[in-house]
Amino acid sequence: MTSTLLSLANIEKRFGELRAVNGVSLDIRENEFFALLGASGSGKTTLLRMLAGFDMPSSGHILLDGHDISQVPPNHRPVNLMFQSYALFPHMTVAQNIAYGLEMEKLPRTEINERVDEMLSTIQLTHLAERKPEQLSGGQRQRVALGRALVKRPRLLLLDEPLGALDKKLRGEMQLELKHIQNKFGITFIVVTHDQEEALVMADRIAILKDGELLQCGSPHEIYEYPVNRFAADFIGVMNFLPARVDAGALCTANGSRISASLPADLKPGDNALAAVRPERLRLGAADADNCLNGRISAMAYHGLDLHLHLETPVSPHPLMVRLTADVAEGHPFAVGEEVSVGWSARDTRVFTA
Amino acid sequence: MTDRKPVYLMTPALAWLTAFMVVPCLLILALAFFRRGIYGGIVYEFTLSNIALVFDPLYARIFLKSAGIAGLAATIAVVIGYAAAYAIASMPRKRQPILLFFAVLPFWSNYLVRTYAWIVLLNREGLIVSLARAVGFEGELPQMLYTETAVVIGLVYNYLPFVILACYAPLSRLNPEIHEASRDLGASEWTTFRRVTLPMTVPGIATGFVFVFVLSIGNFVTPALLGGGQFQMIGNLIYDQFLTANDWPFGAALSMFLIAIMMGLLTLQTFASEKASGQQRAEVCDD
Repeated sequence: MTSTLLSLANIEKRFGELRAVNGVSLDIRENEFFALLGASGSGKTTLLRMLAGFDMPSSGHILLDGHDISQVPPNHRPVNLMFQSYALFPHMTVAQNIAYGLEMEKLPRTEINERVDEMLSTIQLTHLAERKPEQLSGGQRQRVALGRALVKRPRLLLLDEPLGALDKKLRGEMQLELKHIQNKFGITFIVVTHDQEEALVMADRIAILKDGELLQCGSPHEIYEYPVNRFAADFIGVMNFLPARVDAGALCTANGSRISASLPADLKPGDNALAAVRPERLRLGAADADNCLNGRISAMAYHGLDLHLHLETPVSPHPLMVRLTADVAEGHPFAVGEEVSVGWSARDTRVFTA
Repeated sequence: MTDRKPVYLMTPALAWLTAFMVVPCLLILALAFFRRGIYGGIVYEFTLSNIALVFDPLYARIFLKSAGIAGLAATIAVVIGYAAAYAIASMPRKRQPILLFFAVLPFWSNYLVRTYAWIVLLNREGLIVSLARAVGFEGELPQMLYTETAVVIGLVYNYLPFVILACYAPLSRLNPEIHEASRDLGASEWTTFRRVTLPMTVPGIATGFVFVFVLSIGNFVTPALLGGGQFQMIGNLIYDQFLTANDWPFGAALSMFLIAIMMGLLTLQTFASEKASGQQRAEVCDD
């Protein structure tokens, strides 16, 4: 296991009455690709601004390589930020934008030129070195912004919604490109995003923030498969929730059918609970499964590589989402109104307090 | 569908400008090429002597002097005005309009009244002398009123609001993240100002400078009142040709030359700011 690069100890940030960040503690490892995931207002941007040095925490400490940098101004931190708006200098060429940070380090001109050339070829913009930002496409600007921050070889690179302004197709490519670049440079990346898919694809670990507090931190797999509570389960991906009551080691739905699952210790018989299962864990007609439900197809959505069925069931006011892969859906001429039964295993069932 | 722009709405403005601005200017231009009568008046006889006289060292020196004073006033106004605009643009967004309002407030009072106020401040028994005496200054104070300095002070004072407005516009449009990006990349506040903020707001500085320069070089009220006729600026010279010397053709020649200088500067400035705002537009529009 690699060592800890950045430690956040009980970080709090208040703006007047508002607690934008509330008691966040996190350890981020060397060479990690880390994602801060949250909706707007979750405190993720405030946290990022404190890491960059634009805001100071109201209390708590930020340790980088063991040194407290909480009060260090942004120009004296070995941390760089790639801005959401890119914030390129419009009066400078691409090459000048990239050289700027190195000039601030007072490096010799020859070294600056060498490193700028090297970076230009890494981001594949050598042929556009003399262009101004206004003459570049969105994707090219994004690469200049990345190069300008990376060329400083920071200990930590912060990326604020790095792919937010790109179109969907380019975003997919850049997700992998960013991972590749992070690997190549061996620099710790912290990405702030509201896009859970982006976080799942790129990050080694994800921290989910809600209302300024850290909700859950773990690998994409842990976050997706073992959400800590109802909010986390709902926030990442699609989740079906079935209201139920705890009854003698199992769950009992409103119409009396039983759902078997392993229950969290804090749930006592008689408590209200929610059974949760991902759409892709539901199988059609699996009568032998641990759990089974009958329902009527109320809507269908064809996505090419999979087919989504919405089932009306007696146990939940919300339709149950079933996701069938193309090979399963093939040869089933489903129709709205059709009665089907779905099953899933107890292993794939999560239980949350209602 | 044809995209019909309501061009006809410009007609009143165009008619007004043509009748009261373009035609008179052309008449003046024409006057410059006629001879002055012996007892004043105009003899309609073509000559280039008026134009040649403008370049006479005596008058060329007055042009240069006027340009020097206008340049000095514009420089001082830009330094003071830019600093004020920078401070206003750094304030919370909500407070900025009220501060701008106060900055521009003197503009709504009469130009003459404001200039007379400076006479009250600067004269031998004026406020500044009284203040100096009150704090115990005993020595001889230099003459302030009726000097070049007084004229420069008057011009800077009168045109400062222009500069503040001209500099405020680009400063308030700057994306704060650009400033932060510079800091993030290792620049101090001062370096950030020198290498990012200042170059990006040059169009505002140029606009402010040209405004003050153009309005100052042709000004005749301030030199007359605060300069006390001790020296002439080009505006006073033109005034004298028309109203005292009764040499309309030479006055016209001087006017044409002055207008040419102003037009040249304003054209340059328009092109420069057009280019700069074109850049900013491109930045906003592109994806």
